[in-house]
Amino acid sequence: MAESIPTQPSDPHADDHHHEEQSFVSKYLLSTDHKVIGMQYMFTGMAMALIGGFMAYAFRMQLAFPGVEVPLWGVVTPANYTALVTNHGAIMIFWVAMPVLIAAFGNYLIPLMVGCDDMVFPKINRLSYQIFLLSAIVLISSYFVDGGGFGGAWTTYPPLSAKAEYNLTPMGASIFIGAVGLEFVAFLLGGINFITTAMNARAPGMKLYDIPMVIWMIVIASILFMVSVGPLLAGAIMLLFDQQLGTAFYDPNRGGDPVLWQHLFWFFGHPEVYVVLLPAIGITAEIITVFSRKKLFAYRTVLNTAIGTGVLSFCVWAHHQFISGIDPRMAHVFTLTTLLISIPIAEMMFVYIATLYGGAIRLATPMLWALAFIFEFLIGGVTGIFLGASGADIYLHDTYFVLAHFHYTFFPIAIIGTFAGVTYWFPKMFGKMMSDRLGKIHFWGTIIPFNFIFIPLFFLGAGGQHRRIYDFQNFPALAGEGMQDLRILATTSLLVMLGFQLVFFYNFITSLMKGKAAGKNPWKANTLEWTAESPPPHGNWKELPTVYRGPYEYSVPGREKDYWPQDEPN
Amino acid sequence: MSEDEPHTNYVKIWAILVVLLAVSVAGPELEIWWLTLVTAFGIALVKAYVVATKFMHIDHAPKFVTYLMVTCLVFMMLFMAGSASDVFKSSGDNWYKIESDWQYMPPVAQHDEGAHAEEAGNH
Repeated sequence: MAESIPTQPSDPHADDHHHEEQSFVSKYLLSTDHKVIGMQYMFTGMAMALIGGFMAYAFRMQLAFPGVEVPLWGVVTPANYTALVTNHGAIMIFWVAMPVLIAAFGNYLIPLMVGCDDMVFPKINRLSYQIFLLSAIVLISSYFVDGGGFGGAWTTYPPLSAKAEYNLTPMGASIFIGAVGLEFVAFLLGGINFITTAMNARAPGMKLYDIPMVIWMIVIASILFMVSVGPLLAGAIMLLFDQQLGTAFYDPNRGGDPVLWQHLFWFFGHPEVYVVLLPAIGITAEIITVFSRKKLFAYRTVLNTAIGTGVLSFCVWAHHQFISGIDPRMAHVFTLTTLLISIPIAEMMFVYIATLYGGAIRLATPMLWALAFIFEFLIGGVTGIFLGASGADIYLHDTYFVLAHFHYTFFPIAIIGTFAGVTYWFPKMFGKMMSDRLGKIHFWGTIIPFNFIFIPLFFLGAGGQHRRIYDFQNFPALAGEGMQDLRILATTSLLVMLGFQLVFFYNFITSLMKGKAAGKNPWKANTLEWTAESPPPHGNWKELPTVYRGPYEYSVPGREKDYWPQDEPN
Repeated sequence: MSEDEPHTNYVKIWAILVVLLAVSVAGPELEIWWLTLVTAFGIALVKAYVVATKFMHIDHAPKFVTYLMVTCLVFMMLFMAGSASDVFKSSGDNWYKIESDWQYMPPVAQHDEGAHAEEAGNH
């Protein structure tokens, strides 16, 4: 690897920063401080998670109790239902998983973990958040225009999405595309910052293999995003033209091709899975090493595997299209590549288990979340192998089996990964410890209902229950007692899980107000952020640190302490 | 671009591009298939190369910018390889695109809409 890339002797912008007292507006609203922008992303992401979660509640109520008056929403109409499902999917991926896992943790952690005082481009960073916030507002506004929110699924397949007379949301469909486009611009700006900062602004002495794994993962994810998003943006503009200008890129009646959209969408869409997965895997690496007091087993293997996964993720996209009329010969190719990509991911899981082996494991709340990530994601990964095989996918395509599969991947990524990161870095972010007891109650209150929501959906899917159906009572084969009981079980579990999130918010707020002071390094971790004050001041350190070793030197024989911070000379 | 290197003569490059454009428009008019191929696609490649090296300064940029450009091309070819067999097809087992028969392409309005819908349905 390019270890010859020189690290900066000191931050090039050191003179530009004036780390003095700031007014409320410049500190919180127009801040260019990476920590504030990270928090803005995190809180916006959490607010969007509440909206996305509420949507899930509304449509799950409709599925379990068709036609019932849903508290806080009312009766869910068919148009409501499709719009809720569509926006739930889009929000959870683009406005929750990406802002929290990449933007919030990326912004907060990269300068702190590579040892510099801010992002390389602080103003671009601020612009990134502002565009992101605008995109969220634009998306929500689509609910209040003529025709309401777009209901053609988050994948926006034409012809349904291209023609107002099909989707019945002439404004909503275009606003949806506009919001997603803005969100992509925000993440391109953010990604440039993450990559440049991690590569060019590292503390003296920090070689490429001394970079903490979570930073590597965010950098690789940013590169994947930058490389994959172009075709989709181009495709989205063509779709917008179809909607508003009467072109026919995707209109088969006039020589267009709807399958082209599916190719463009999934050429982005599948790498996107790894864009959000990799940061969660990185967060897990940080936590399991600290809480098992072990060196990360095979650092370079994890890194190379992640890069390999990234490259391979561009060769699997058409496994989403096995039954959409693609050339059957290509189905063989994409089955092969899809099954191949399970190998590097499985390798990472083995590496993590090997890291845990023989360690002094401490089951604090962040560690529970990290272990749950490995466990639950495995279920998602293994069920993906069924779907990657084109023969099995012909039966399972577009059933709840698919839905349960990707919730077993995305929930561990977006929710479990986020809670792992938030509970682990909370002491650094706010200078206070969270209650471990409440944290554990919240953990079990989330994980157990989660499995009760989605395991029934595997059975329903294998039983033939199709996705995006408003009311299964209209289908005699799907309306039976047994199947409806499973739907009610899933919905009830969702209610329980949502209820337990109150414990998290209670814990969050009370810990903020009267939590125990955390000190600099409550977990006794090695990485650089734990050498700064908690919370770190503007500029992070009075004197920028120097790095002497890798980030995972735990339980080194012959040392008195079982950890060895990166900035300690001996 | 460093200071001591001579500036590209943009007007000259532009003039060359215009001439190439004229060739690429005129060539296919003769309707000889191999000449169409050379003048349409061959000249497009040359023009893209000139724009990238001269207008986008790739010839003066650090090596990694060239690598990035090549990576983009590789990704584009990857995408083409995966999707060409679907989106470049003009017929299948039970369908064909009337409009794809470009030599005899009639105005859209002359078609019976019902027949179109049927074609699409089969697709």
